[in-house]
Amino acid sequence: MSQKQYWKGLEQLEQTPEHQQIVENEFQQDLPAMDLSDKLLNATTPRRDFLKFLGFSTLAATVAASCEMPVRKAIPYAIRPDAELLTPGVANYYASTFVDNGDYCSVLVKTRDGRPIMIEGNHSSSVTRGGTSARVVAATLSLYDKTRLRQPYDKKAGKSVDTFEKIDTPITQALAAANGEIYLVTGTIISPTTKEVINRFLSRYPNARHIQYDPVSYSGMLLANEASYGKKAMPSYHFDEAETIFSLGADFLGTWLSPVEFSSGYIKNRKINARDGKSVRMNKHYQVEAVMSMTGANADERATCKPSEFGNVAAALYAAVTSGTAPAFKSKKLNDLVTSAARDLKKGKGLVVCGSNDVNIQIIVNAINNAIGANGTTINWANTANYKQGVDSDMVRFVDALDAGQVGAVLFHNVNPAYDYFDSEKFRKALPKAGLSVSFNDRMDETTQLCAYAVPDHHWLESWGDAEPKAGYYSFIQPTIAPLFKTRAFQDSLLKWSGAEETYHELFNKYWISKLGGQSNFDKALQDGVVEPETVSFAGASFSGDVNAAIAKVSAAPSGDGKYELVVYETVAIGYGGAWSNNPWLQEMPDPITKATWDNYVCMSPKTAKEHFNAELTGINQVDTRKKVLKVTVNKKSVELPVVVVPGFHNDVIGIAAGYGRDAQVGRASVNGKNAYPLVTFNGQTFNYANPVSIEQTGALYQVAITQTHHSYEARPIIKEYTLKEFQENPRHLIEERKKELAHYTHLHWEGHHEEDPNADFDEKAFEKNGTLYPVHEKPGIHWGMSIDLNACTGCGACVVACQAENNVSVVGKHEVLKAQEMSWIRIDRYFSGNPDDPDSIQAVFQPVMCMHCDNAPCENVCPVSATNHSSEGLNQMAYNRCIGTKYCANNCPYKVRRFNWMDFNGADSFADNLYEDGLRDDINDDLTRMVLNPDVTVRSRGVMEKCSFCVQRLQEGKLAAKKEGIPLEDRHVSTACQRACAGDCITFGNVNDKESAIYKVRYEDNKERVFYMLESLHVLPNVSYLSKIRNTNEIVAGTENDQLYHQHI
Amino acid sequence: MHLKYESFVREPLINGDKTYAQVTEDICRPIEQKPGRLWYMGFVFSLLLLGFGVFSVFWEVYWGLGTWGINKTVGWGWDITNFVWWVGIGHAGTLISAILLLFRQGWRTGVNRAAEAMTIFAVMCAGQFPIFHMGRVWNAFYVLPLPNTRGALWPNFNSALLWDVFAISTYFTVSLLFWYSGLIPDFATVRDRAKTKLRKRLYGLASFGWTGTAKNWQRFESLSLVLAGLSTPLVLSVHTIVSFDFATSVIPGWHATIFPPYFVAGAVFSGFAMVQTLLILVRKIFRMEDYITLGHIEAMNKVIVLTGSIVGVAYLTELFTAWYSQVVYEQQAFKWRVLGPYWWSYWAMMTCNVVSPQFFWFKKLRRNVVFTFILSIVVNIGMWFERFVIIVTSLYRDYLPSSWTYYSPTWTEIGFYIGTFGLFFTCFFLFAKYFPVVAIAEIKFTLKTSGNNYKKKMEHLDEKSAEEFIHIAEHAH
Repeated sequence: MSQKQYWKGLEQLEQTPEHQQIVENEFQQDLPAMDLSDKLLNATTPRRDFLKFLGFSTLAATVAASCEMPVRKAIPYAIRPDAELLTPGVANYYASTFVDNGDYCSVLVKTRDGRPIMIEGNHSSSVTRGGTSARVVAATLSLYDKTRLRQPYDKKAGKSVDTFEKIDTPITQALAAANGEIYLVTGTIISPTTKEVINRFLSRYPNARHIQYDPVSYSGMLLANEASYGKKAMPSYHFDEAETIFSLGADFLGTWLSPVEFSSGYIKNRKINARDGKSVRMNKHYQVEAVMSMTGANADERATCKPSEFGNVAAALYAAVTSGTAPAFKSKKLNDLVTSAARDLKKGKGLVVCGSNDVNIQIIVNAINNAIGANGTTINWANTANYKQGVDSDMVRFVDALDAGQVGAVLFHNVNPAYDYFDSEKFRKALPKAGLSVSFNDRMDETTQLCAYAVPDHHWLESWGDAEPKAGYYSFIQPTIAPLFKTRAFQDSLLKWSGAEETYHELFNKYWISKLGGQSNFDKALQDGVVEPETVSFAGASFSGDVNAAIAKVSAAPSGDGKYELVVYETVAIGYGGAWSNNPWLQEMPDPITKATWDNYVCMSPKTAKEHFNAELTGINQVDTRKKVLKVTVNKKSVELPVVVVPGFHNDVIGIAAGYGRDAQVGRASVNGKNAYPLVTFNGQTFNYANPVSIEQTGALYQVAITQTHHSYEARPIIKEYTLKEFQENPRHLIEERKKELAHYTHLHWEGHHEEDPNADFDEKAFEKNGTLYPVHEKPGIHWGMSIDLNACTGCGACVVACQAENNVSVVGKHEVLKAQEMSWIRIDRYFSGNPDDPDSIQAVFQPVMCMHCDNAPCENVCPVSATNHSSEGLNQMAYNRCIGTKYCANNCPYKVRRFNWMDFNGADSFADNLYEDGLRDDINDDLTRMVLNPDVTVRSRGVMEKCSFCVQRLQEGKLAAKKEGIPLEDRHVSTACQRACAGDCITFGNVNDKESAIYKVRYEDNKERVFYMLESLHVLPNVSYLSKIRNTNEIVAGTENDQLYHQHI
Repeated sequence: MHLKYESFVREPLINGDKTYAQVTEDICRPIEQKPGRLWYMGFVFSLLLLGFGVFSVFWEVYWGLGTWGINKTVGWGWDITNFVWWVGIGHAGTLISAILLLFRQGWRTGVNRAAEAMTIFAVMCAGQFPIFHMGRVWNAFYVLPLPNTRGALWPNFNSALLWDVFAISTYFTVSLLFWYSGLIPDFATVRDRAKTKLRKRLYGLASFGWTGTAKNWQRFESLSLVLAGLSTPLVLSVHTIVSFDFATSVIPGWHATIFPPYFVAGAVFSGFAMVQTLLILVRKIFRMEDYITLGHIEAMNKVIVLTGSIVGVAYLTELFTAWYSQVVYEQQAFKWRVLGPYWWSYWAMMTCNVVSPQFFWFKKLRRNVVFTFILSIVVNIGMWFERFVIIVTSLYRDYLPSSWTYYSPTWTEIGFYIGTFGLFFTCFFLFAKYFPVVAIAEIKFTLKTSGNNYKKKMEHLDEKSAEEFIHIAEHAH
């Protein structure tokens, strides 16, 4: 039955093909908004289109009118580069080498989209063993330093030069016409090819001389070794082989010679495997020093003496080692220490190192090492070390020659005598007398300002190069980014001026291809970063020094007329100065000992400060950031600096750090503090970093930004320390303590009597369940955990800087640190115990603290908007976009690890023009410097809370890698930035649910006897555990009646 | 020996020989007159304070919380101290109007209007602090359980801070309704006396067409009772919940079960002190001595000495608990509170809150207006310190000694606090000028029973014999 049809129009009646098509496809047309032609209003359905058009255009007009269009500077990879080389968004790692005036570290450089953003240690190197230091990690920031010279500079013309040719000609002419000697002054050079280049230069100009100059000099050692062994070189020190270490003022973990290498070796023998039970062993570390160094803070036995007594201590140790004579110092602790050190050293595998720059003291030290058989066991003369080669008298002679007008031309590479030479005034006056002066330095530093030409060298991250830290150990530098500025490799400049056609890169390739035997070997070497002998062969050296003469000279030396002696020392962060002074990461890294930032200061012991200078350890009223300013005079040169009181300093010794108080042109971050180098003296042979000093009070006050103001851990169970003996006697001490403390919440008394098996471990699961009224959730899959070995942490701060680099953590500046508004995600708590009046009684402990990722996190339930919450993998995570910044979470964090974005520190805020600027840290927000930011990590805006994320971006990457491999996640897939940075492998991280993982083994098998959790009794269930600190000594001072710092609550 | 018609301790609540007309006249006078010079000076000064506060807050919002002195360890400073302080002050109003209404305390009628107004203004001031202490205040609406496009994203109902949002907003709403409903008949009175058109219009609008019929009054009475019933638990709950901000945390010095009653007592304490401060000024400036009598002042002083002693006991209990707990963190937290670098704040609190109110055991001092005025300010200073002590001196030295810091406010924080005084007094001056500061209708209820003239009329009864007394008394009203 057909129904009657009503057609709607002629089209339907006629059923044209066009009409059928229209009927079939109701919405056959694109959105009219896409087609803005005149036909719009004549279209088939004008009403709908009109409304759409109206809506779209209104919206578009609104958007266009109200929003400021961002200027996008990123350039897309329109044509994808070679996939092998670069995949946008995927990081590439290049093996390279950190070299800074003989400071050496083999590294991997992480580059993202063609820019280096992170430096990690290279495990292929047997020298630095994958470790890094704060300065190594901070090098990326120096690469992007805004104050680097961007092109050559001609001082006479008073302007920058746009091509190298324009200055090559006058310089070559001037070199050829040089009236007098040509001096090439460099820092220590450990690059074989650079030495080759220098030799070519020297042979081109017969009147040229190359001298090496180390602002913090080791020439005392070099000369002593020449006198003792006939070699003006340094041996390799094998701290990993040493069972007894005696350091006489050498900060070998922090700044002495090759701290990364020494730290990793040293810690190897301090890591304890509690599974070994009663037979655990560790090295024994004696330290005699004048100041409180980071190394001293790690020592098992420590005593202090004045620097002028170092010779006598060395002599006494020599006597004790050779003839068993008991030392006769006034200090009983020192006598006991020398006696027992001598006893231990004689057992073999001993090592004595000394930080003094005095030749005679070093000869005695050599004699001791010889007497205890260290040469060939812990000291290796087969592979001599090249770290420091500068001889002070060369430099002094050079300055004299300069002053006498005998120098025709002088070239400076990576040295800055106008700042760091002890008599820089003389140098400054003398330099203009040279016919030609050229600086290769990277910035307008104090010396470059005085030079006629600045021909800036590349940064090492932009260069080719090599290093030979020890004889036979080679390490390569490859560029990780095209040179940012119009700079030229120092070697290329020298080659050019020597008239060579060859470039340095060609020379470098040729040299290594021939040396390594072919391109493929060279490629592999570049990829690995290092070429090393397969086995370490140990060789001794025959000692031929005149130790008696040295002892006689040492004891005849005047002991200083004043009461006080000043030690000019290097800090772990800033070091000797150089470009590091302008590195905000390093400036804001709290000093391991003083925890001060952004300044140098006069350090002195609490007793001296209180009795003679009216200054308190705790500051004025325990809280005031203002410190009393003292005037310190050495050899008629004075500086005025605030006092920072440090327990552990000898009562007659004060210390001032070098590297501060730079010229404004070095960079804005570098200007704080005062230059301490003028307080160094020259004794006719070597530079003397410890001198008699007179001190006056000035009455002025100066604010010092210190991040930790309380020094005792108040005997709270947040740190567990035992002596080695205690531990050997009862390794289960800590387990028993935990069981006892938490018994009440582990086995509920109403569930009946619990028969405790004395050999059982602490039942973490029962505590988790019974310590709360709430149901306990299963935690299947991955559960992240971290373990930190307090025995392995030296407090060096590499992890702090690595975290900052990895996670884009803001630098806040001195003014904010003064207000305790710093933002570092990981901090190293440093506690002292002992009697502040007795520097020899001080024991120190370092404890890295970051977010504990508590499974029962108190921060999570207080957030009104759930911005911080828990992941199924046990991470306490932050949703920055959700955070409204009530700071309730930070208040409720018992570990105080949450960090708030107080200001717009990094330009990520939605308000325009409110970027926080303080004059010191502003360069960090320059577009250039921002290239250092890690693109995988959100840059947080003002007003949100942040904290350690366990490097969640690295965890995601690791999980993906495991997924691509089609296997469950393993330890090798993931690491956190702090873990990678640590030279001592202090941090273990991984999946606790995986019984094969290192973290599981540490926590539940190998070291379970040492495991403790900070504030475990709060039942917040932290995912970071600590391993107790074991001291190879007789007494733990903390909490005893000798712990006056605790009893006085300082 | 004669029978007494009324106990001699029942002093009149309204002095002077007042008639209903006189009461209306007295209370409406300030509204209908041009304000005096004092009023103008006070108002302009308040506006200046408010302006400074607005500038301080603008500065903080624009540059960030780094302009404040709070830090990594002490995350709350003056901001939350001031918040709790203002909320505490906002307690007396509702207590007077609701609880005293339920207990049929006649004396409340003289002071309830101003006390309620004070409550509302104080809560307004208090509310500023949790809002502007946020790092990203423009996202403050995240705390509201709004249906949203961000997925199933709700606020965290576990958070005490969120409970605050509900507690404070509920309290504010109910207090406002209560206050306003009481104002309706009085607005109608002002409307009926108004001489200009505009006045009539505005007060007419404000009085919601009140005509004073029996039905109007009946509904008015029921509404008052209902609202009183609603607010009574709120008086207890608001500060209880505010105390949960601290009590539910893990910080030693905060984590204490004693907090709810201790906070409520403290709130009533500071609230009454603030009522005293304001009413002593109002009765002086607007010549309300007949309505806000020494009897009123004394009654409130009694409340002050009671609640002051309660908080004193709470302070001592806290110390005892810390000692008794044998937990080192708890013990040390209180040690540092009492003897640490902030010792002065603890002892300021103790002196102002525990010692000073004890003077009110003396009747003479209770009835001394000047002394009461001074002491009311001392108590409020003490209560400010109490909150400061709880918040700052718990945070500044908690579990890990490495993180211990000090905290001092910056000008922006102080400016914010000053600004809330500006807000408070600006509102209060406007209230005093445009609103009847004493509840006209309600005070008339008490005029016939507690007014001085009515009491005097009954005095002759005392002379009568017992039978006559009973006879007359039974037919007196």
